[in-house]
Amino acid sequence: MKNIFFSLLFICSLGAVAQIDRSTQPKPGPAPEINLSEPETFTLKNGLKVIVVENHKLPRVSYTLTLDNPPIAEGEKTGAAALSGALLGKGSANISKDDFNEEVDYMGARMNFGSQYASAGGLSQYAERILELLADAAIHPNFTQEEFEKEQDILIESLKTNEKSVEAAAGKVSRALLYGKDHPKGEFETQESIEGITLADAKAFYNKAFIPNNAYLVVVGDVDYKDIKDWVTTYFKDWKKGAALSNDFSNPENVATTEINFVDMPNAVQSQVIVENLVDLKMSDPDYFPALMANQILGGGGEGRLFLNLREDKGYTYGAYSSINNDKYGKTSFSASASVRNMVTDSSVVAFLEEIDKIRQEPVTEKDLKNTKAKYIGSFVRSLEQPSTIARFALNKETEGLPEDFYQNYLSKINAVTIEDVQRVAKKYFLSDNARIVIAGKGSEVLENLEKVSFNGKTIPVKYYDKNANNVAKPSYEVAMPEGLTATDVFNSYIEAVGGQEAVAGINSIMMLGEGSVQGTPLKLTIKKTSNNQYLEEISVMGNVMSKQVLNGDSGSVSKQGQTMNLPAEQIKALKKEAAIIPEMAMLGDETITLKGVEKVDGKDAYVIQLTDAKKAFYATESGLKLKEETTQQMQGQTFVQTMLFDDYKSVGGVLFPHKLSQSMGPQNIEFTFTEIKVNEGVSDADFQ
Amino acid sequence: MKKTFFSLASILAMSLTIQAQEVEFEEYDLDNGLHVILHQDNTAPVVTTSVMYHVGGKDREDGRTGFAHFFEHLLFEGTENIENGKWFEIVSSNGGTNNANTSQDRTYYYEVFPSNNLELGLWMESERMLHPIIKQDGVDTQNEVVKEERRLRYDNSPYGQFLFAISEQLFKNHPYKDPNVGYMEDLDAASLQEFQDYFKKYYKPNNAVLVVAGDIEVDETKKMIEDYFGPIPSGPELERSYPTEAPITEATRTQFYDSNIQVPAILTAYRTPGYGDRDAYVLNMISSYLSDGKSSKLYKKMVDDEKKALQIGAINLEQEDYGMYIIFGLPLGETSLDTLLEGMEEEIAKLRNELISESDYEKLQNKAETNFVNSNSSVSGIANTLARNYMLYDDTNLINSEIEIYRSITREEIKEVANKYLKPNQRVEVEYLPKKEEQ
Repeated sequence: MKNIFFSLLFICSLGAVAQIDRSTQPKPGPAPEINLSEPETFTLKNGLKVIVVENHKLPRVSYTLTLDNPPIAEGEKTGAAALSGALLGKGSANISKDDFNEEVDYMGARMNFGSQYASAGGLSQYAERILELLADAAIHPNFTQEEFEKEQDILIESLKTNEKSVEAAAGKVSRALLYGKDHPKGEFETQESIEGITLADAKAFYNKAFIPNNAYLVVVGDVDYKDIKDWVTTYFKDWKKGAALSNDFSNPENVATTEINFVDMPNAVQSQVIVENLVDLKMSDPDYFPALMANQILGGGGEGRLFLNLREDKGYTYGAYSSINNDKYGKTSFSASASVRNMVTDSSVVAFLEEIDKIRQEPVTEKDLKNTKAKYIGSFVRSLEQPSTIARFALNKETEGLPEDFYQNYLSKINAVTIEDVQRVAKKYFLSDNARIVIAGKGSEVLENLEKVSFNGKTIPVKYYDKNANNVAKPSYEVAMPEGLTATDVFNSYIEAVGGQEAVAGINSIMMLGEGSVQGTPLKLTIKKTSNNQYLEEISVMGNVMSKQVLNGDSGSVSKQGQTMNLPAEQIKALKKEAAIIPEMAMLGDETITLKGVEKVDGKDAYVIQLTDAKKAFYATESGLKLKEETTQQMQGQTFVQTMLFDDYKSVGGVLFPHKLSQSMGPQNIEFTFTEIKVNEGVSDADFQ
Repeated sequence: MKKTFFSLASILAMSLTIQAQEVEFEEYDLDNGLHVILHQDNTAPVVTTSVMYHVGGKDREDGRTGFAHFFEHLLFEGTENIENGKWFEIVSSNGGTNNANTSQDRTYYYEVFPSNNLELGLWMESERMLHPIIKQDGVDTQNEVVKEERRLRYDNSPYGQFLFAISEQLFKNHPYKDPNVGYMEDLDAASLQEFQDYFKKYYKPNNAVLVVAGDIEVDETKKMIEDYFGPIPSGPELERSYPTEAPITEATRTQFYDSNIQVPAILTAYRTPGYGDRDAYVLNMISSYLSDGKSSKLYKKMVDDEKKALQIGAINLEQEDYGMYIIFGLPLGETSLDTLLEGMEEEIAKLRNELISESDYEKLQNKAETNFVNSNSSVSGIANTLARNYMLYDDTNLINSEIEIYRSITREEIKEVANKYLKPNQRVEVEYLPKKEEQ
């Protein structure tokens, strides 16, 4: 085993300091020495290459078998790969499934299989038997109809468990759109495709793909190289070479101009936003290190610009990151993503594009680059703690066609990246003008603003897709509005629905007593109104008045927890509108009020009326009744939407009144049930003093 | 100052005994009460600096939940000498990585650096303990971030509210009843003063343990620790008293709705003893027996043989005051939740009524040995274990001796413990169901 020692390129200032000064950040000590050892390797006749890293610190061993195959398209049989992987490890031709599982568990070992992958690990005293079982199960699998059907059911069921996952939908659609549904990286499993697969299909996939031609077995741990060579030679000698796999696919292209691809998910409380484009990048490319640096600065972690902007500065999300992949077999992707709350979906898109554009247009600072290099160097040093790192380096050198000294030169390559390099690769790989912005979210809450998103002076077109990446029409909650209909028509049908103009005009006063609770605390609500601009709303808890709002002609006040404030004229004017017994009567013919469209409210179609800039009301298209009011408020730079739902309309004095109100703002929800509503009685002028 | 060097006596209790690497460490207290644990391992040029505070989700008053988790975020906002927003940059621009996590019982902050930045790690953690900046700005920003975290992890995530659904049933008085992340309205309602008071109360050297592990020189490290942490004033000792729970004597059945799922789940849970109780170790073994590995009883029967379950699992979720023993299952196809529940109870009934087989017992021992070997495979993992063992188990050397506890557990004891905690009348049952939308 040869050892290479070299010293880190840290700049270090060394000097004894007698007293600490905590107001200045401590400087790093002398750079630690790095020891990069080389693993030992050998190759079997069938092509299997074995990489062995001996490390005796802990009495354990791990085996990882990877097949360096090109991506394999499955077409209408998508799912055959997953099923073939699921059928591996169920015993072998030589040992029953139950005995196999029993023995693996007995040794305290772990063993996992995938369609082109196998791994195992355990205590080194069982090293040989673990390897033998791994090889046996991988090379002589036990595919049975019974197990196949079971795995088929499980795969279908697991699709269902992800059916409503916003993140899963966004991921699936983004890959399908980016690469195309016929590309191995874009195709996905559906219930139909899985149901159409037979045991023979799964076997066929295994026979085609599970071949030693480009296979690597990595062994790390408390083992002896000579033993490993003996064991591998014995247990893997029956593995037969297969036909070379083709790597011939349609070549996906980026979109000509940036577009939004929207997937409607009515259950979403957050939108998943993915900004992505295709790239050609391999580890062996000269651009590899500059691209790592550029991505790191943009969105590589907690100090990336995306995180600092979308999370730390704006509080839109729990985390926003970007990543750039590399693939020697063909196109791969750059992507930036975050789960953001519904209300800021549009602003997040803009923030993403601005950051991506900025790193393309402006050189990064000296400091940004220096810090990023330090981060990579640190991560390289830290990774050396695990013996598997050495094995990973060796595997990458083999599979990615890297020069022999790639990892010896790793740190100096990173240090050689310049500010110009970063901007050059940002322009080349982060395509803010040719990006797909895939968003899965609640259309009824986010679409209106999303359609207005513009960037660099251009509105970004929005296209709509279902969860299977099929192009669909714009979701229906904003369409289907009869032509020529006006807000006044909607108000008229509302007035008609609650009892007609005459009945409504006959009401001079109303008193409503309601009960509700917030987080278990009972509340009482009293509302009184007259047709003379008099209005009272009072909320009390166990006899104590918590809040009170009064309007009496041209004066009015608000009291909260003992403090009373007179209302300014502007608010009195606004309150007057709402204070009417049936406010819609007063709004007939008001041209500042517009009909915006149709949206769903709790599954019912409703006309949306914009009452003021901040307030909307929703009237059922079918019954004409008012279902909801929505008020947008600004507080501390944040936008909040408060909603009031009306339900349980019952007649009092010939006019229908909602007997149930639920008010919600953010996570808080208060429901009131009116126990008593009286018309033309129980109200006197004294109530409004 | 107490000083202890441990050397593990080799115990050959069983025919199969692993000579796992012994973790050597040294521990002592600073004058201000900060407990310090040092572990030297110079094989790789990496060092972990970490602080565990004895404060978690359960340290709160009604109406003010989620504070400890909130502080996990807030204490990255900056200190008197670390500019707001620069924490992550300082760490990563010096080749390090850092994070924090909060449980109901404790909060853990850590950095991992190349070893030439040990002093930097100590400086940062001492800054955080001595004088973090707690201002309205930071509170407002982190409040939004925490809300997003809640939406991401729980509200928008399939089965994300699984633990809430159980803990609100298993606990009626003890703060474990509320989510560790807290209720949003509590955080919204809390004033800046309340946050500042919370810091003063809990984030004191005498309520914390500092671990430095990895490529260090002991004497030099001790001096730096004294320099950076020595001047931090200690606070009054905390009085800890949490409401207790009456034993569960009758099974309850409740429903919980999650709009993010399509396949329902059945959850059943039992209240079990807290950290360090010998029975908790036995319960870990029982979990392993029931659902760890393909030959485990529940997996083999319900997923593999009978094909009734998509997934099944048994977890002994350990906490300081009470544990939660949880078994969950997702049905496959037409299987009803009750069928799953019956299947689970059948296997637990066997544990209560019969001794497990000799060969299953050996299997459990092998699994425990494997876990033991794997548990000490990284220096940062060792640091975390040392801190936890000291703070929550009151026995730092458990890192070396825990395996002896498992080795000493008998088949009879497994049966006894199953009878003590896992009877049908001691469980809560939660039907975790898809929330139907009105379309």
